[in-house]
Amino acid sequence: MTASDAGPSVREIFSTLEYGPAPESHACALAWLDTQDRLLGHYVNGKWLKPEDRNSVPCQDPVTGENLASCLLAEPDDVAAAVKAALEVLGSWSRVPGAKRAQHLTRLAKMIQKHQRLLWTLDSLVTGRAVREIRDRDVLLAQQLLQYQAVQAQVQEEALAGWKPMGVIGLILPPTFSFLEMMWRICPALAVGCTVVAIVPSASPTPLLLAQLAGELGAFCGILNVIIGPASLGATLGLCPGVQKVAFCGAVEEARVLRQSLAGQRLELSLALGTESLLLLMDSADLDSAVEGVVDAAWSDRSPGGLRLLVQESVWEETFRRLQTRMGQLRCGRGLDGAVDMGTRGAAAHYVAQCYVQEAQSQGAEVFQAIPVLSASPFYPPTLVSGLPPASPCAQAEVPWPLVVASSFRTAKEALAVANSTPRGGSASVWSERLGQALELAYGLRVGTVWVNSHGLRDPAVPTGGCKESGSSWHGGLDGLYEYLQPSGTPERLPFEYQDLNYDSFGLTVPVSLPAGPETGPSPVPPYGLFVGGRFQPPGAWSSRPIWDSSGNLHGYVAEGGAKDVRGAVEAAHQAAAGWEHQPPGVRATLLVALAAALERRGAGLAERLQQHGADPEAAKTEVELSAGRLRLWAAYAQAQAQGHTLQVAGLKGPVLRLREPLGVLAIVCPDEWPLLAFVSLLAPALAHGNAVVLVPSRTCPLLALEVCQDVASMFPAGLVNVVTGDCDHLTRCLALHQDVQALWYFGSAKGSQFVEWASAGNLKPVWVNRGHPRAWDQEPQGTGSELALRAARTKALWLPMGD
Amino acid sequence: MAARSRGTELDLSWISKIQVNQPAVVRRAEQIQARRPVKKEWQVAWLLKAVTFIDLTTLAGDDTFSNIQRLCYKAKYPIREDLLKALNMHDEGITTAAVCVYPARVCDAVKALKAAGCDIPVASVATGFPAAQTHLKTRLEEIRLAVEDGAKEIDVVINRSLVLTGRWEALYDEIRQFRQACGEAHLKTILATGELGSLTNVYKASMIAMMAGSDFIKTSTGKETVNATFPVAIVMLRAIRDFFWKTGNKVGFKPAGGIRTAKDSLAWLSLIKEELGDEWLKPELFRIGASSLLSDIERQIYYHVTGRYAAYHDLPMS
Repeated sequence: MTASDAGPSVREIFSTLEYGPAPESHACALAWLDTQDRLLGHYVNGKWLKPEDRNSVPCQDPVTGENLASCLLAEPDDVAAAVKAALEVLGSWSRVPGAKRAQHLTRLAKMIQKHQRLLWTLDSLVTGRAVREIRDRDVLLAQQLLQYQAVQAQVQEEALAGWKPMGVIGLILPPTFSFLEMMWRICPALAVGCTVVAIVPSASPTPLLLAQLAGELGAFCGILNVIIGPASLGATLGLCPGVQKVAFCGAVEEARVLRQSLAGQRLELSLALGTESLLLLMDSADLDSAVEGVVDAAWSDRSPGGLRLLVQESVWEETFRRLQTRMGQLRCGRGLDGAVDMGTRGAAAHYVAQCYVQEAQSQGAEVFQAIPVLSASPFYPPTLVSGLPPASPCAQAEVPWPLVVASSFRTAKEALAVANSTPRGGSASVWSERLGQALELAYGLRVGTVWVNSHGLRDPAVPTGGCKESGSSWHGGLDGLYEYLQPSGTPERLPFEYQDLNYDSFGLTVPVSLPAGPETGPSPVPPYGLFVGGRFQPPGAWSSRPIWDSSGNLHGYVAEGGAKDVRGAVEAAHQAAAGWEHQPPGVRATLLVALAAALERRGAGLAERLQQHGADPEAAKTEVELSAGRLRLWAAYAQAQAQGHTLQVAGLKGPVLRLREPLGVLAIVCPDEWPLLAFVSLLAPALAHGNAVVLVPSRTCPLLALEVCQDVASMFPAGLVNVVTGDCDHLTRCLALHQDVQALWYFGSAKGSQFVEWASAGNLKPVWVNRGHPRAWDQEPQGTGSELALRAARTKALWLPMGD
Repeated sequence: MAARSRGTELDLSWISKIQVNQPAVVRRAEQIQARRPVKKEWQVAWLLKAVTFIDLTTLAGDDTFSNIQRLCYKAKYPIREDLLKALNMHDEGITTAAVCVYPARVCDAVKALKAAGCDIPVASVATGFPAAQTHLKTRLEEIRLAVEDGAKEIDVVINRSLVLTGRWEALYDEIRQFRQACGEAHLKTILATGELGSLTNVYKASMIAMMAGSDFIKTSTGKETVNATFPVAIVMLRAIRDFFWKTGNKVGFKPAGGIRTAKDSLAWLSLIKEELGDEWLKPELFRIGASSLLSDIERQIYYHVTGRYAAYHDLPMS
């Protein structure tokens, strides 16, 4: 055993002490590709599907460019076949006891354990990522995910009573990290009894191998079907009958297109978008450890995207010296080499990074690379960009892998302002040794995950998600399970797409209304105007709309609100939102209880008005009573549960907090039916969770809401609750297209629902629409309950490692 | 050995702001051990290099001339000659960096090394090793006597009570006096990190020891319950780098205690390479305090050369 002819001799290495190659043998990955004759098809219903006459694309080794295999690109027929398989097994899979599903998932975890070398070498070979990350982290995490979700399945009947699996889930995966992203989503989906059709990019066929492993378990073959194709097949997948939900992971712009093309379809769409992360470095931090945090975040093949780095000005130079020194130690190379920090992501990622760098340089940025960029080399070096103020066009684009874009700030307050001023809201880390400061920043950041003094930690029990344009879906933890569940009793979804719905003109104009005779409503006459900013205001358009009672008489007039009134209401709501968010839950609860009491004092008048709109006396009385009850119920909930809880995480010393944070300004379009009860049932959970609201009350009977507002005016902060009356379609349009409304609940027509879904592509706000189905507001599960609680707030995971 | 470290005036501002986040350092320590595997020829070369960093140590109550003599001959001939020949490394003059003994055994070691025709230095522990709970006067005298006996390097232990009570000036003064007592001998300062309470204290003590003129800072005596660990090493290496950035002086590093396997030694080498760079990978700036490590390295080299795992009697004992 002597030195090989090509390599340096022991004597040479003894003097240079350089690193040598440490290749992982990937013979098994090649052998697996050989079993498919180097032609990868789709894995559907436990079998390989290789249809004739399909276009094929090469799957290449990103380092050598060598063709490893050809991949058949799916056509709509293949998608349909996969959905059919998933539908066939859905009945048996969703009906077997949770314990049985748990057993199946555990067997899959064992299967992964047995074939892990194949998994990690294949994934590293085709994606170019450092094998160390896949071997030591991803594959372990995949097994942990299955085991965690097996536990959830085991206790599902008890813990998730009242919820049922959605059905067939469509999953669209990004070109990078598809294996892990798939595991995060299929594990909970399978655990609760859904079946999955995943579309994976041709560049990373590892999910196919995983589907094969699942298929070889024998039973329940079609629960996981994987087909190779472009993300644009997502719309086709969504249109297949039987698909109840599409979970999309990928780029923001693709998501907008998908959102629009699936508007009005019978399915839910959840989005997990973007790859950029953020690191806030305060002057009290352990700078060297923070530099390691930067390496974890951007230069260790641990995360798919780039990093925005905010450094306090007083430690800017010290940080840069450390960063640049550290960058000199990073090694790029073939992913299958166990001693490299960073592999490659292929020519496309190389090109994106290079474009960003050139653009940044042309805008005056400084670029530091410890290793020069070689155009012939497949590797792109770690890159540090600085001197790019927020106003430069380049600074607004998402930072691509493997770039770190650094900028400075002066104070913690400014750090928060800068950090929150992007449309992205994925993950961030805060580095500070001062506990108070770290928590202040962690709570203040508008993102889905915050790590304190660490970056990129993951665990199956911790929900991971985002807000703003990072999409509002969660994976991991309980939140991840609810993504694939719906309340039992949710009506069967029927297609309601209106092919001819003209999005440009929907609700654009308001029908003219003229004086319509004497008013017959009771006295005292309810206040006239829009309830905005804590008081009743005349509408901007200075016109009114008549309200008719159930016998066709003119009941009275309400103000005709328009675009400017919506704008004013949203502004007022934003001003009130910050204060309300920081109110302790006890204070929120007290006010809700007080409102309940006030509502009861008004009970007789409200009941009378309900009767005029056709309710019989008993029903009217019940509606008032139920409404007061709802306020009290959510008041109690605000105190008891809305604050989230602490999670235990294996392998981490210290707690992870699951916080429930308000969405911000929540717009609610109330249904026509149950004019008082529905209004209160929607208002109460929104306020209990700390949101500020803009409501459009029942079209037929808006006066009840206005009357309640008289009490709201005297109790709640001005602007917290705003009620805008007027043409429902027009106001819906204004709210749905408003970029600074953080979420929208719509309970109106099927057409309106479709429009709301379409329009939400603008700021990708989470929307909840009823698709024209009436809801039983007087019944327990639909009028109140955990679905409302889930929708009224978003989750944030806050990691707090401890130790000294 | 390199020129003596000059040290600097005491500047407490260098340690006043320092923050060390323990969980983050522990994570880094875990990563660094998994990220730089060294294989085949590289492994052999690295292991041979590691041999040249070893302070071959015996610090036992029952040390006598005969085992000190064995130790010194092993220091001179750390790897079986025929193995080195097979690797074409027999003429590199591979020896350990030093032998390290108690003060009372310095004379024995000097004598044995002379007999072996080996010019590697004898290092002596001193200053009330390992607890340092004796009077300053006797601690200083111990250094002087060891130097008189021929020790070229003195491994002193610091007074942990000064660290734990935050008396940094007093610590600086003591080490300054140790340094004077050493004369021309090199000063290696043992921080006994297992007894300092926190990583922040480890950083501060490292910085004070360097300011006071230590040529090396050393993790532990080998007698504490916690010895050379990677998190502690990372903190000390960062202090060494910061000191270099501030003063231009390179101070050496010596982990000791608990380093027993060839695999461990490779991880330590890559740790130095990653945190400080190749300049520190020489005996003047890096030592490993160990006793049983050497035989494990020799076994690995035996395997590499012969393709067989060695029996214990295949390799000469120390």
